[in-house]
Amino acid sequence: MSNENKQVKHVTMVGDRTIPPKDARFISIYIMGQRYKVPETLTIVKAMEYAGYQFKRGCGCRGGICGACGTFYRVLGDHNIYTGLACQTVVQPDMILAQTPFFPPNRADHIGLLKSKLPPDEQIATLYPEIFRCVGCGTCTRTCPMGIDVMNYIAFFKRGDVLGGAKESFDCIMCGLCVVRCPANITQMKVGMAGRRIAATRLIPSSAVTRKRAEQVRAGRYEKMLSELGQMDKEKLKEIYVSREREPNLSQPGEWMPKDQSHL
Amino acid sequence: MSDGYTPEMLDLIKRVEASRPQRLAEARAGNDFPAMSLDQRQEVLNQFHPDYTTEGRRSLGIGPNQKEVLPEELVDLLESRSLIESVKPDLSKPDMETDVLVIGGGGAGTTAALTAIQAGCKVILATKLRQGDSNTVMAEGGIQAADQEPDSPYYHYLDVIGGGHFSNTHELVAALANDAPMIMEWLESLGVMFDKHPDGRMKVRHGGGTCRKRMHSSGDMTGAEIMRVLRDESRNHDDQIKILAFSPAIELLLDEEGNCAGAIVNNMETRTYLIIKAKTTIIATGGTGRLHYRGFACTNHYGATGDGIVMAYRAGAKLCFMDSVQYHPTGTAYPEQNVGLLVTEKVRGLGAQLLNIDGEQFVFPLEPRDVESSAIIRECLNLDKGITTPSGRPGVWLDSPMIDLLHGEGTVKRELPAKYIQFQRFGIDIAKVPMLVYPTLHYQNGGIWIDEHSRTNIPNLFAAGETSGGVHGRNRLMGNSLLDILVFGRRAGLAATKAVKNEVKQGTLSLDHVYHYGKTLVESGLDRGMKSPMILPNYAIDEVKNRRWDVQSPII
Amino acid sequence: MPKLTHVPYYPGCSLKTKALGYERSAMDCAKTLGFKMHEIATWNCCGASYPLTKDNLMGLAAPTNILVEAEQHCSERKIDAQLITLCSFCYNTLKRTDFEFKDKPEKLETLNAFLKRSYQGSVKVLHYLEYLRDVIGFDNLAKMVKRDMSQLRVAPYYGCLLLKPHKEIGLDDPEEPVILHDFLEALGCQVVDFPGQVDCCGSYLIMRNPEKVLELSHNILQEANEYGAQALVTACPLCQSNLDQSEGERHGADHFLGVQGMPIFYFTQLLAVALGLDTELHQFEKHCIDPKLVLSTCFEDDAKKIESKK
Repeated sequence: MSNENKQVKHVTMVGDRTIPPKDARFISIYIMGQRYKVPETLTIVKAMEYAGYQFKRGCGCRGGICGACGTFYRVLGDHNIYTGLACQTVVQPDMILAQTPFFPPNRADHIGLLKSKLPPDEQIATLYPEIFRCVGCGTCTRTCPMGIDVMNYIAFFKRGDVLGGAKESFDCIMCGLCVVRCPANITQMKVGMAGRRIAATRLIPSSAVTRKRAEQVRAGRYEKMLSELGQMDKEKLKEIYVSREREPNLSQPGEWMPKDQSHL
Repeated sequence: MSDGYTPEMLDLIKRVEASRPQRLAEARAGNDFPAMSLDQRQEVLNQFHPDYTTEGRRSLGIGPNQKEVLPEELVDLLESRSLIESVKPDLSKPDMETDVLVIGGGGAGTTAALTAIQAGCKVILATKLRQGDSNTVMAEGGIQAADQEPDSPYYHYLDVIGGGHFSNTHELVAALANDAPMIMEWLESLGVMFDKHPDGRMKVRHGGGTCRKRMHSSGDMTGAEIMRVLRDESRNHDDQIKILAFSPAIELLLDEEGNCAGAIVNNMETRTYLIIKAKTTIIATGGTGRLHYRGFACTNHYGATGDGIVMAYRAGAKLCFMDSVQYHPTGTAYPEQNVGLLVTEKVRGLGAQLLNIDGEQFVFPLEPRDVESSAIIRECLNLDKGITTPSGRPGVWLDSPMIDLLHGEGTVKRELPAKYIQFQRFGIDIAKVPMLVYPTLHYQNGGIWIDEHSRTNIPNLFAAGETSGGVHGRNRLMGNSLLDILVFGRRAGLAATKAVKNEVKQGTLSLDHVYHYGKTLVESGLDRGMKSPMILPNYAIDEVKNRRWDVQSPII
Repeated sequence: MPKLTHVPYYPGCSLKTKALGYERSAMDCAKTLGFKMHEIATWNCCGASYPLTKDNLMGLAAPTNILVEAEQHCSERKIDAQLITLCSFCYNTLKRTDFEFKDKPEKLETLNAFLKRSYQGSVKVLHYLEYLRDVIGFDNLAKMVKRDMSQLRVAPYYGCLLLKPHKEIGLDDPEEPVILHDFLEALGCQVVDFPGQVDCCGSYLIMRNPEKVLELSHNILQEANEYGAQALVTACPLCQSNLDQSEGERHGADHFLGVQGMPIFYFTQLLAVALGLDTELHQFEKHCIDPKLVLSTCFEDDAKKIESKK
């Protein structure tokens, strides 16, 4: 049985390949100094694979969120250094690139992170005192491929605003490019990580509703009704499914309740 | 900013803008495009879902799931020989011994490890890439849990089983729905920054197929946030959890009685193998997106090649629902560089609608994913009302500008920061112009068969996460995968711990099952000279492949 | 309600932590005096000490970032580019950076290239005291004072960074300054002129050599006491901290037996008292020597408040 004959249009599926435009030229790029010719419009990851590299390091989600593919590059004739994620950055003619899949970080011992008796700001200062060596040069901010103002989140931590630092650092994908360039040898992303966990547990109120429900679950409140659902025949189950009430899209938190409250 | 779109596309966007005022008015009044009935759902699935066809599928000729008709790419892997056959390692002197060997370092594996050490077990976590490189980090929109007042695990159960077209395994669904609130409490206690109201109540939304708002999120990088917290926590315990990175497992070890006894792990950098003897083994190797069934682009990470399925199958593990694959309705269709990448369902949860070339709605935005995908395929390939990109790919509009108009300016940037940046890099401001989307290969609904304690049919072998099957039946709802990995990762950790505490009898290590499997392939004429597991996809162009000494496995 | 003049404000690290009372009192007084201090949106630590090297420009990076943010803040609001500070360290660093850029524009060019920003050099760096003197005017200030401060004998303590190096700061005469004197007169206090008013309190030696700080501060306090002062005012969080701690040490056990020490006010805290504002949140209680005790000897209602709290 094929459902292909229902289709009027047919499309060729090419897996992970990028389809360059018909008029795409071949350009030279320098992968760690070695010159290769690749078609325009490819991202660095796909251009490197086109050239024949098989990634072990330096490739992860291929979607800009895991931080595996942090890349430094220059373009011939331009003295500036640029940064980007290899999976998100399109190759340019005469691009000279190198990846940094690993750079030694300084990671404090987070073992007592969530149970510390110190106030949150002192906790950060104790774990990562090197943040006070920040010279405020802003190199980290200029390096970040996610557009985060890294210097600013470190500044928040320095002046004791752990929540501010947590929020400012949230988009961090832990690629480590800032760490490579920091002249004061700070490992910004680890500070952000600690700061976010501290903020989430000590500065942001916890969800009472969730705790209450978790206790009810531990007490076995739902075991019987779930087991009953398992014993129901399919038709009865479908009936209940189809007739179940749907919470309105624009309902306010904690206000709407269903008509049938017998299974809550 | 929309200089990423071509002038032709910008012209088409004008139609979207023309229909928007009316659509907004309807949305504010609570009038949605009508949802499909169960029969209508089945019809659109039968006619347009890529699973509901025998094209690109063939019958599996070996093993516990023999005769099932499954995607070719998967069958190829299962009908392949082992990488280790020619090596014939000496198993009498294991290189490492441990209580729990976790294979896979994503959400499920890390949770299993964190759970196992609570009871004092020693854990080795072997991961193919870095710890955290997984599909977990790519999950965007949310995690479901029935913790709010108008909700309960009862309703969560109904949503899961209905979304799975009533094919799901009851015990697994019950475990998923029941454990969810405890998992949320645990994540909160570890320091995950969930989107919250000022009083601490978590913000919740609808997802596809939900009857109550129970999607908890952390911006649009929920999986990334959860993974980085779990990873940070596991690094606090490096005396109990030993991490072997860039070290994929390539075969399971059994003992003479058929119990799982550990695995052979290969260090990709030194290209040396390690024999790891383990009292219990947990497979958490994730999905199979990088097999690119039928040439579909995928949302998965680089390592999603189903290694665990292959190894477990060779050892005699049953699989289930492997014929069922989830296509996420909204994969990126433009720009070309990001084709296939996920655009979270949260976008639709926030009110964005799917539109055809005329700027009209054609489907309720929050149908279960397989239904939604089929409707989009129908709209593009049957009704020919899709938009075609300059590369010739089909797509439909996802009207994200509605979000700011419904919830206030700045909502898109605040709720979808990662997506915003991703499109902005290519000159598209998704708060101002719609995105172009098309179904993309996303999730392996099935997998290794497990019971509600994450036990496989092989003693001392457990599985958790996307690699396992039965929880979601034939279709998974949004937010249940992040939940699945944590619930069953924890259960796997608990079950493994229990087995260890009850004294695991460890026999002699053996790879006989692998040699036997290879022999069977040869004898039944199925051997095509291929080797598996795949480890990493091979994206070399033909010119390059033809110039390599070792085409088969450039990795090992 | 007349509109309050918008004045961009740079707090610096101490004003958000140890010197929170200084900030709060300054902000409250500002509103009464007709202006509102608006913290610039993004800021970093100024580096505290102006760099001693001539060609290592890294030390100027932090202050330049601040000045750029201030410039942007002002241009967005179409107001004259200025930045008010409270901390003398910050004032000193920013003012000297500003001077360096005017004196050597090529350094600004280099910094702009490095930071990838384009600071135009337009920001006027002000100290709050300067604003009081030059914009509000001490005569006008005197007219707004509500309480009779004449019972209070206050010694002005200038410290070092507010005034020196004179060529780059230019606020007042470095050896015989008058700005705090004039300020105290405007409030109506009895001004205790004493020689130690421009002696160094020990500054950041408190980190490595606290005994030295005690010694230096001790000398200042001893002298102020001999000249009849009941309290001191200062404009620097580090001076306040060093002197306050030393005064606590000086009295030691006696202090706890009720021997009154000399409180070290931030000048804005005293200003708030003079203007009749509520000082509840100005963190008097964080001082080693609680200012409320001295105030209660001069003002009946303060004395009553203390009684009622006992």
